[in-house]
Amino acid sequence: MLHDWLFRVRFLLRRTTVESEIEDELQFHVERQIEKYVESGMNRDAARRRARVEFGGLEQVKEECRDARGVSLVETLAQDLRYGWRTLRRSPGFAAAALVTLALGIGAGTAMFSVVYGVLLRPLPFRDASQLVLLNEAMPKVGDVSVSYPNFQDWRRQNHSFAEMAAVNPVKFNMAGGNQPENIDGLAVSPNFLPMMGVHPVIGRGFTHDEEKPGAARVVLLSYALWQSGFGADPKAIGHTVHLDSQMATIIGVLPPDFRWVERCDVMEPIGVWATHNDSATNRGDRGDGLVVGRLATGVQMEQARADMEALAAALARAYPEANGQNGVHLRSLRDAFSGDVGPAMLLLLGAAIFVLLVACANVANLFLMRGPVRAKEMALRLAIGASRGRILRQMLTESFLVALLGGVAGVSLASAGTPAIAWLIPSETLAGATVDINGAVLLFSGGLVVLSMFVAGLAPGLYATRANLQSALKEGGKTTGAGARNRWRDVLATGEVALALILLLGAALMMKSLHRLLAVDAGFRSEHVLKLKMDLRAAQYATDPPVIAFWQRTLDRVRALPGVESAAVGTAIPLTGDHSRNDISIEGALPKPGSYPHPDIHIVSEDYEKTLGIRLLRGRGFTPADKENAPQVAMVNATVAQHLFPGIDPIGKQFTFGHLEAGDPPNWLRIVGVVADTKMYGLANPARLEIYVPFRQAASNGMVLLVKSGQEPTALVSAIRSVVASIDKEQPIFGVATMQDVVSASMATQRITLILLGLFSGLALVLAAIGIYGVIAYSVAQRANEIGIRMALGAQRADVLRLVLAQGAKISAAGIVIGGAASVGLARFMTNLLYAVRALDPATFTAAALMLALIAMVAAYIPARRTLRVDPLIALRSE
Amino acid sequence: MNDRVELPQGTLDLLILRTLALEPQHGWGIAERVQQMSGDVLRIQQGSLYPALHRLERRGWIKASWGTSDNNRRAKYYELSRSGRKQLSAERDSWQKLIAAVAQVLGPA
Repeated sequence: MLHDWLFRVRFLLRRTTVESEIEDELQFHVERQIEKYVESGMNRDAARRRARVEFGGLEQVKEECRDARGVSLVETLAQDLRYGWRTLRRSPGFAAAALVTLALGIGAGTAMFSVVYGVLLRPLPFRDASQLVLLNEAMPKVGDVSVSYPNFQDWRRQNHSFAEMAAVNPVKFNMAGGNQPENIDGLAVSPNFLPMMGVHPVIGRGFTHDEEKPGAARVVLLSYALWQSGFGADPKAIGHTVHLDSQMATIIGVLPPDFRWVERCDVMEPIGVWATHNDSATNRGDRGDGLVVGRLATGVQMEQARADMEALAAALARAYPEANGQNGVHLRSLRDAFSGDVGPAMLLLLGAAIFVLLVACANVANLFLMRGPVRAKEMALRLAIGASRGRILRQMLTESFLVALLGGVAGVSLASAGTPAIAWLIPSETLAGATVDINGAVLLFSGGLVVLSMFVAGLAPGLYATRANLQSALKEGGKTTGAGARNRWRDVLATGEVALALILLLGAALMMKSLHRLLAVDAGFRSEHVLKLKMDLRAAQYATDPPVIAFWQRTLDRVRALPGVESAAVGTAIPLTGDHSRNDISIEGALPKPGSYPHPDIHIVSEDYEKTLGIRLLRGRGFTPADKENAPQVAMVNATVAQHLFPGIDPIGKQFTFGHLEAGDPPNWLRIVGVVADTKMYGLANPARLEIYVPFRQAASNGMVLLVKSGQEPTALVSAIRSVVASIDKEQPIFGVATMQDVVSASMATQRITLILLGLFSGLALVLAAIGIYGVIAYSVAQRANEIGIRMALGAQRADVLRLVLAQGAKISAAGIVIGGAASVGLARFMTNLLYAVRALDPATFTAAALMLALIAMVAAYIPARRTLRVDPLIALRSE
Repeated sequence: MNDRVELPQGTLDLLILRTLALEPQHGWGIAERVQQMSGDVLRIQQGSLYPALHRLERRGWIKASWGTSDNNRRAKYYELSRSGRKQLSAERDSWQKLIAAVAQVLGPA
């Protein structure tokens, strides 16, 4: 059957080719026959004549071949299309309404799928990407942490599940040379990383085995984008040097344009270069930012690899309890690492978009049905003169196909306008270099939506039309044929629309409530009028602490002196980012067992940090300029530390030290001088953790965030701050400039996008459902004019009649609400993980959404119902 | 000349499938082969051969591809598909049943 259709379609699409093939084939036959006669001794002219005569009418044979190939069916299809096109052209209002409705539905579905495809489905640009696994260490109570380099080396040597493993360390550089000093991101990788991933430099070479060892010469691969923007895509850039952190590095190659990584990657260097100047390379207890990528050995499943690696991590934890504590290991597919945790939200939105399309289809089906009586006579006539019911059904489906196809074309154009807007809403970390566009796969999906629309919108009217009663239709001129059956269909469709609209409305309402609750969370800090700017002191002159401290001190002094600045501070971390360094601590007088040391986040901050961010000081004092290099070491803790590590006692004056106490080594105590309120360091929805703050003069850090609170719009200060920094060090880049309010809204990006799109989709569905109910009631009022006239002539009050008509609308919306509500209970679990502090089956939200929908449905029914009040019984009766 | 026989209805497909079961062949070759194998008794009319070939191709019993003929010309070759092979054995069985039954009814001459 399928073969048959493909065969016919081939004929339709490649008509000229097939025609000439038939011609060639017959020609060959004739010529072969002529040759045969010539071989048997006939002269060529006679042979030709005889062959031609024997063959008979060439054109007639061709025609029979065409028939045999099923051409007639193709011809019928073309005829149906032409007929459908003419029908649509004759009722432009109907065609436009159907087309716009479907364009919105198909557009929404296409746009959402392009995002889902770009972020979740598009194959990663690596060889056999499904075999690639990303590995983290996992710390009890903390979660995923980086992999220490010595642990990686043991993993690679001792595992039984991976064909290969490579370390990948994010690195940062300050690159000089452009019009503004620039901070760029890179990866330091094991030399086997690129071959393992199946990535080949577009020009130049990859890394060699020797470049794994410390002491390797500084070489880099450029990303394709950096090669284009910074080096004019010049192939002669190979062999040249770049200034990275005031050191020279030789360019040895360029990564392919489609290379992307979970993190941004502008340059890539061999791990040997990283290991040369990094203590983490040899210190097992030191976890930088490194991750490990592995390629599963042939035939090894993820679960086997997980068991193998967990056993290995447990063995390493026993062998090195000081460094490894009780660390386990966390494996996930590289695909999951790339798509992060947005998968559920995106699939939910795709589902919502398809629901919108279904509502649109139901509306179009109702439009088709509304034309039913107009066309009933035509259909009956065609049945009478011998058209088969199948042929009539095909005709109806062809018409809905035409509408769906045109709607699809318009929808794809809508989507190609809307997709960039949706992509723009998605934070760049979530995209991880993914491109979201309308491509072949997306168009294929849109084609699927067109076919779906064709059947959903065309099947009910088609089935109805073929059931038309021949005789009554012809006799009554198609006036009231099968009205009962048709109305049932229309009511069912409108009920379905209400149910789908309720499901979407509920989803949007739940998201809204969740976001509202999230916004009401006490973040522990105030984001208004605060600007953040990041700097990383990487030049050679910042190799020791004093110049680093001096740089920050000077920057703070000069920024504080700027007009409009209320306060300024530096700190290694800001709330809501999740990017924090941590360390074990030992508290004086409380010795824990190995593996159960408290593991708080450690933030290095200046005085005024809590004031600039509006973090409440609960007890004691904040840092002052007196907390400097040689002064007694001090620290602030958050309320969670006070509660958990000092239950029932005042932590002020208590002492702790970093790392683990070792016998015979006098500990370097820090005294707690202040307690600040908890801040949401890991996102609004996540609980506070243990946080410790130390003054920047006592623990210098090269990477800091400058926080500036101003009286007015803080972004107005950016250029002044840039010149302040340039006046201190003109080579020093500034990056990550944003207001704290941007940071807050970025932390809720997934929730916000979900709400915006779900709100949009549910609004669309609501409007379509309202139109659907309006149409059903308006049509039914028009149809029942006689009945109403009789009722009124017999003495019924207008209010009674109005109630009669409204009852139909109420029945439809009540049934829709019950069905939609029941379906929502089933679908609610898909939302659970997206909601904060709201249950997916929140009764208040359910009630509110149902009431709102009922109200809209009744308004949509009331408008046409009011017309019954204007029915003049005399006119209504006379028209019979 | 007089010992030629009109092809009974429905046997053309069977003959084509049977011929192609031997080796892939072009239209002219099929006609020649049938004529040869039947000792010149059966002769296929071109007017019915080619529509039959296209019909069989549409049903998926034979597959077509362009090749080079023994006289070095481009020719359309047909070969039997898997379902064509099944069809051939089914049709052959029912044909044999048919002629056996017909022969029985006619009785010995």
